[in-house]
Amino acid sequence: MIVPQLVFWVMAVIAVLGGVGVIASRQPIRSVLSLVAVMLALSVIFLELSAQFVFAVQVIVYAGAVMVLFLFVVALLGPLRERATGRLRFQWWLGILVALVFGGFLYSMLNGLRFRAPANVDLSFFGTVQQIAAGLFTTYLYPFELTSLLLLVAAVGAIYLSRGGRTASEIQREEEDRRA
Amino acid sequence: MPDYGQIPVGTGTLDARLVLGLGALLFILGTIGVLIRRNPLVILICIELMLNAVNLTLITFAAQLRNLEGQLFALMTMTVAAAEAVVGLAILVDIFRVRDVDDVDELSELKG
Repeated sequence: MIVPQLVFWVMAVIAVLGGVGVIASRQPIRSVLSLVAVMLALSVIFLELSAQFVFAVQVIVYAGAVMVLFLFVVALLGPLRERATGRLRFQWWLGILVALVFGGFLYSMLNGLRFRAPANVDLSFFGTVQQIAAGLFTTYLYPFELTSLLLLVAAVGAIYLSRGGRTASEIQREEEDRRA
Repeated sequence: MPDYGQIPVGTGTLDARLVLGLGALLFILGTIGVLIRRNPLVILICIELMLNAVNLTLITFAAQLRNLEGQLFALMTMTVAAAEAVVGLAILVDIFRVRDVDDVDELSELKG
């Protein structure tokens, strides 16, 4: 049957269009929403590749939590308009050049790619919550526990960085006081 | 020699090269975004796009090799990406509180 490939192609087109939307839209809010589209399309492909748990995490954590965080920041900072022409216009061409070189490398590597024989495992039980948990809590227990430390550090750091500091007008007033 | 690149999916198969190509394309789009965009917020979004492309590659190889470690690694990447987004956005909000930035090139105080 052709159904898996059809699903893949539809999701791939959505993902690529979303990716183009991320880098091409003028307003950050559209970039964020395009990225949500990319993530949802990718989550369907994850499901096709028998990664059920990663699919759920992708939808809940990524498309749900992380992107809502981005949306909150966009709402907090207000509509930011990006200048059409920057001071460093050559960066644009440099970016295209880097992308072309990098894309050429990736393409040639994909062309010469030889796949190793897969392990003899039933794919219908692959990537279930039980299997993921068995991996995370036995072989990869220490990395998993370190992950919680990483999240704690990130949370504390975010609170520290975003605590009430001086605003721009306060700094200006202080400088005026110093001058006076 | 059989083609090991065909991943069985439901009733059919999916060529791993196609999925890896999609991952490469999304990664390159993210790279272009980081290089040519000027809004720091959009640059962070493009980094998330690149991380997602890497995740897709990891999960493709996990399915092709029937090796679960790729999926576990993808989960770790997601955690690191979440931490990165939280800290990056906090720094960004902190910068924006002091001044309006519509171009990351304006943030050159550390240049001396």
